[in-house]
Amino acid sequence: MDNTPIVYGFDTGTCSSYESIDFPYTEEPVWLLGRQYSVIHQLDELRDDFRSKIWITYRRGFSAIGGTGPTSDYGWGCMLRCGQMVVAQALILKHLGRDWRWTPRSQDDERELSESELLYFRLLNLFLDKKNSPYSIHQIAQMGASEGKPVGQWFGPNTIAQALKKLSMYDHWNNLAVHVALDNVVIINEIKQLCKAEKRNGQHILSPKGNWKSLLLFIPLRLGLTEINPLYFKSLKAIFKFQQSLGIIGGRPNHALYFIGVVENQLLYLDPHTTQPIVDYEEFTSNPLFDDSSYHQETAARMDISQLDPSIALCFYCHTESDFDNWCSLAYNALIDNEKQPLFEISKERPKNWQQATSFSDNTQSLNSLDYDLIPGASNVITLNHHSKEPFTILEDRIVVGNDSDEEFELLG
Amino acid sequence: VIVERFHKEKSLPVLDKTKFLVPQELTMSQFVTIIRYESILKFWTKRNRMQINPNQAFYLIVNNKSMASMSKTLAEVYRENKDEDGFLYVTYASQEMFGYF
Repeated sequence: MDNTPIVYGFDTGTCSSYESIDFPYTEEPVWLLGRQYSVIHQLDELRDDFRSKIWITYRRGFSAIGGTGPTSDYGWGCMLRCGQMVVAQALILKHLGRDWRWTPRSQDDERELSESELLYFRLLNLFLDKKNSPYSIHQIAQMGASEGKPVGQWFGPNTIAQALKKLSMYDHWNNLAVHVALDNVVIINEIKQLCKAEKRNGQHILSPKGNWKSLLLFIPLRLGLTEINPLYFKSLKAIFKFQQSLGIIGGRPNHALYFIGVVENQLLYLDPHTTQPIVDYEEFTSNPLFDDSSYHQETAARMDISQLDPSIALCFYCHTESDFDNWCSLAYNALIDNEKQPLFEISKERPKNWQQATSFSDNTQSLNSLDYDLIPGASNVITLNHHSKEPFTILEDRIVVGNDSDEEFELLG
Repeated sequence: VIVERFHKEKSLPVLDKTKFLVPQELTMSQFVTIIRYESILKFWTKRNRMQINPNQAFYLIVNNKSMASMSKTLAEVYRENKDEDGFLYVTYASQEMFGYF
């Protein structure tokens, strides 16, 4: 894996970006993470915004993961890299704001680093390919391994979101609250509790001052089995108009991409499928003129929305509580209200009788207290939702439609 | 309701039941809970109490097309999506993984 050649994308989607124009010449607006641009009148501003996003790719030559593991993530790290890009963009919003722009520096540049550049480098350092960077490929792959996904295995959008959620707990500088909304439902109260939680004497309590941790919200979805249902295109495109939008992680089948914008029916993305050598960490920390251009992509790549693989995760960043409240009403109005098939739903509280999957998620010891009982001597009778007042039971062989044994049904109720 | 595993699904276990008679007023979120935990239970016993992961992505796809709306009742979903043969077909799947060799 050490000598993997540099690979520039696997298909025409990437190659097309090297053509003379990176954006189609169109009257239609381009939406790039909540900002609207006109290709005709604002091409320079659009390009400047695009290349200011942190682009993270496959790398080769890093220290072996876990001491004996791979030294390159070529072929398996694409979804992990997309996840890194999302967190990087979230942290740019948190520390530098949406208007921050990257300034490439030349070797004869003698000015001192500005405060925002120092912050930016501190932030970039979190993603370098070494084991002590909080969001390095090493940390993510090993967090995956502790969750039952051996180093080098492929990730899906939910896998990477879950790994980042765990890693964020060790990142004390940024104090980020990462929430993964499962089962297509965003539950407002759970998020508010998470963002207002404070640690006092080892206990998690609700912040008395109402302090709000910045929220990074992932909503993993599956919008079809083998192909994405076109019914969802309109809502997916609307995602990029949200000022809280961090885009979408997903891809073409097997090929993870980070989508950050849309124009007409085309999604703009950052593609991690370029294998670059690692950067020199010594130089990174010591040389103020460090060349960081391998973390930025000059030209936008795009693909038709119909090529999107159905497995995705929507990503949002809410800096303050009012940002989040605003997000809730925006999402409701733009994506849910009057929509026959909404992308997801929003609920104030977890519906009653609904198993709380997260209640034992962080603690494997509590497995014994799972909310169902297996009734002794009747292996086919299961009581669900032990704590709720109306337990569900699945009874076998109770209702028989017709006399054919093929016609037996499970009775739920 | 016929509940089947997506034929390409690798991480979720197979249910040992596929046909369910369901009360009309049951909501999809309740139904998901039952299927989800039934499938996990099966996984659990089959693999000798191996660690289950409640953070696993789990989706019920109606008619091979769209995700189930959690707030709808089974009666509504049935009415909108039932097959000509009178059954409602639901497929469960997690998410695809991404990588390339």
